[in-house]
Amino acid sequence: MADHGTTAATHGGGGGHATVRTYIQVAIALALITGVEVATLYIPGIPNPVLVISLLLMSAVKFYLVVGFFMHLKYDHQIMRALFVGPLLIAVAIILAVMALFSAFLLLPRPH
Amino acid sequence: MADHAATHAVSHAVTHAVHDPNIGTTGLDHRKMGMWAFLGSDCMFFGSLIGTYLAYKGKSISGPTPRDVFDIPLTSYSAALLLASSLTMVLALAALQDNRVKVAAGWLLATAAMGLHFVLNQVYEFWTFVHHHDLTLGTSLFGSTFFVLTGFHGAHVTGGVIWLLLLVSLAWRGQLDRRDYTKVEVAGLYWHFVDIVWIAIFTIIYLIP
Repeated sequence: MADHGTTAATHGGGGGHATVRTYIQVAIALALITGVEVATLYIPGIPNPVLVISLLLMSAVKFYLVVGFFMHLKYDHQIMRALFVGPLLIAVAIILAVMALFSAFLLLPRPH
Repeated sequence: MADHAATHAVSHAVTHAVHDPNIGTTGLDHRKMGMWAFLGSDCMFFGSLIGTYLAYKGKSISGPTPRDVFDIPLTSYSAALLLASSLTMVLALAALQDNRVKVAAGWLLATAAMGLHFVLNQVYEFWTFVHHHDLTLGTSLFGSTFFVLTGFHGAHVTGGVIWLLLLVSLAWRGQLDRRDYTKVEVAGLYWHFVDIVWIAIFTIIYLIP
C-alpha cells in the first residue's frame, strides 16, 4: 500500500487528510484500547468509580481517534467541526440532564 | 514567475468553485456540510436514547438483567468488526484518491461485508435474548430501552451496508472514479459515525457494570 502523504483538500472540505500509515497506526491503537477495555472487566477488585472512569476515558480516546483521523475532522474546516461538535455537546448535556432528572448515577451508589 | 503561477492557481480554483454546483458560498462542499449537519442531529438522537437507557438502568421490576443476558465476547467481536471496517473504509478512500478504482471497490466490499457480519451478530443476539432469556421489547424497562437503542443503531448499520454496496455496484459498472471522491467520502463519514455510536454503546451499555 502506497503512503500517500498529506494531501491538500480539493473537494471543498477544508484541510488535508492523514496518511495511510497514520490510518493503520490509529487502527492498531483502537484495537489495543478495545482489548484493554474488555480485559479491565475481568480484573477482580477494581472499585466501581475507577472502572467506570477508566472505561469512559478509553471510550473517549477511541471516539476522538475515529472522528479526528478517520473522519478527517482534525483536518477539516472549522464550520464542519462546529456542525458536529456543537450538537455532540448538546447530546452529552441531554444524557446528563436526563440522568439527573431520573436520579440515575453512573459513579455513585443509587439512592434507595 | 512564481507569483504568476500562484495567481493562476488561485484563479483556477476560484473558477472551479464558481462552476462546481456542489460548492456553496462558504467555499465548502454542500454534500459534506449536509452530512456533518445530519450527523450532528443524529448525535442528539442517539444521545436521547442513551440517556433514556441510563435513566431507567436498574429500575426494571422484573428480570432478566443486563448481566444475565449480555455476551461480552460476542459483542467485543462485533465492536472489533466495526472498528476494522472503519479502517477498510479509509483505505477505500485512499485508493480512490489514487484512482485505483478496483482496489477501492474491494475495500468498500470488505467494509460492507464486515458491516453485514455485525448486523447478523446483532440478529443472533436479539434472537438469543428473545428465545433463551424471554426478553422482548415489552418485558421490562431494560428490554424496551435496550432494543430501541441497539435496534436503531442496527438499522443505521444496515442502511450503511446498502449504501456501500451501491457504491461497489457503481465502481464495478465503471461509473465511479476519483472525481466521485466526495460521494465516497460522505458515505465514509456516515459509516464512521455508526462506528463511533457503537464505541459509546459498547462502553456505556455493555461494559459499564
